[in-house]
Amino acid sequence: MGKRDVQICFRFGSGTPDMERHRSSGARTPLNSALVQRRSRSKSYRLSYRSCLGAASRLGLTPALTARRLNTSRRAPKSHNISEKVSVEQLALLLKKEWKLSYVTPLYRFRHTQMRGYSRQLSAFIAAEKHQGLAVDVEAAQGSFRASFSVIQGMTETDDDAETILIQIHSKSSFPGQDEPQRALWSGWLTCVYGNPEYLNSLPKDFTCLPLFCSSGSEVLTNAVKSWFQLTFDCCFGPLEISHTSLQWLVALWTNCHAECNIQHLKMIWSVPVVPPLQITYTVDGQDAWELWNSLRRDPQEEGEGGKDEEAGSNIDIMEVERFMQGLKGHFYRHFRLDLSAGSLKQVSTALGLAKCNGRMKISNSKYMIATLTLLTECALLKMPM
Amino acid sequence: MYGVHNLMFFFVVVYHVFPPELVESDEEFQQSLADALVDETDFTVNVRLAKSLPLPVENEESRPRIDLVVFIINLTSELSFQSTEASLKYLDPGYFLGKVCFMATNARNASVPTERLDAVRKLAASLHCPLLFAEDQTPDGVANATERLLTILKVAAGLVPMATPLYLSNLTRCTVPLDIDQPSFD
Repeated sequence: MGKRDVQICFRFGSGTPDMERHRSSGARTPLNSALVQRRSRSKSYRLSYRSCLGAASRLGLTPALTARRLNTSRRAPKSHNISEKVSVEQLALLLKKEWKLSYVTPLYRFRHTQMRGYSRQLSAFIAAEKHQGLAVDVEAAQGSFRASFSVIQGMTETDDDAETILIQIHSKSSFPGQDEPQRALWSGWLTCVYGNPEYLNSLPKDFTCLPLFCSSGSEVLTNAVKSWFQLTFDCCFGPLEISHTSLQWLVALWTNCHAECNIQHLKMIWSVPVVPPLQITYTVDGQDAWELWNSLRRDPQEEGEGGKDEEAGSNIDIMEVERFMQGLKGHFYRHFRLDLSAGSLKQVSTALGLAKCNGRMKISNSKYMIATLTLLTECALLKMPM
Repeated sequence: MYGVHNLMFFFVVVYHVFPPELVESDEEFQQSLADALVDETDFTVNVRLAKSLPLPVENEESRPRIDLVVFIINLTSELSFQSTEASLKYLDPGYFLGKVCFMATNARNASVPTERLDAVRKLAASLHCPLLFAEDQTPDGVANATERLLTILKVAAGLVPMATPLYLSNLTRCTVPLDIDQPSFD
């Protein structure tokens, strides 16, 4: 039985009925009281528990980052003319490529000044691996590999973040006199954008934290680079998946950018657990998505915040994200009688970028990449074993 | 000792509401779990599967005594948790004294947000019910889950001397770590 693929493109009616319905379901529930209620309930619950504590609580979970969760509120992404700070060539290397994400634990004694030395060491390491019989593509088998490390200046915003490192592997062609601008066989970069300052400051002095690792190229070279890092800097790599909540955040953050930069469309791929497996591609026109998002954001804030419009507008809360997703799913249900909550969100894409739940992402537009990278850095820091 | 012919009724509840032409794939786990339970030789176990509560009113009178109600929550789907919450309202409060158990599947799946897992734990903890985690993709996982369910079931049916369901639920109930309400990341 093969997979079934369903493609559905939507244009919301430009009239108001959808909006009205969303506004009314947009929950007049004031956000704060729900939170307060929850806390008081759990406190009294904890007190009654002291007498017969479960074993798990006594095992003393280290409170550090293991108990932390993703931020429930984020700053709305502002258009960042990042090309003012970062060189255009370097940016071009990062954009429009699909990257596989991993998390990295802090690197021991990593120096931004020793890029040349690291390049040489990595090239030698890969040559040695190849000697030992590492499988390589036929085309690259003739020449050897040349690795190059470079620092991408200007991507960090705060003093706590370490500068981004770009690693590229070119094949040294055995024919001299070939054109120099060759495409890198493999590239990868390590970055930290708006990392949690508390955590970054708590690290001992010799450690550099660059938790997000993006790689693109053959699996074999990726493993070689990871092994070299593990040997040289005593760090640990692991796969980073993008959870459902993070994908929802990306949906909201990217849609929020539509006011300044046309996202063209909001495309979501859901997989529904039926037999045979059903994959649904749900595409919403950019303008419609933005109108829906906007209508959900304005209403409760005007009621609650009063004159604080400027500041309130710049913060996005998880409740708004959930309402937005609920709106999108509700619309789908009205037409197809299929509740997408029963399935899982696999992929999100707009003109700004693409993100898949298995840990792949692509940035297509440099203007809002800081916001995307901030979210991914946070995911990496949370997934890292402490 | 108790005879071989003791009957225990065991309810397994699963939730998804799809349009009728789609066949749900999650039913596999419920089915294999039910089959494994029925295979138990010491006692006779009757398993009834349902998609949601309340049960249909028709055979209310002829329905035998229910020993244990198990809610199966698939963590990769939001709907699973929501429908479980909705169905809990239809359950007679007497069941919560040890005759209700939660079983969560796919907890290790990377796409499951931690908030959902937290919410399930809080739900189970607030109702003082045990929360089991099951691995539904392999036959070993199903066998494991079956074994643990049977332990609870035997007590819930009153077949274990000196143990009552309320006593067992007190020992096995889900607890929430003290720092679960930690502030968010930043």
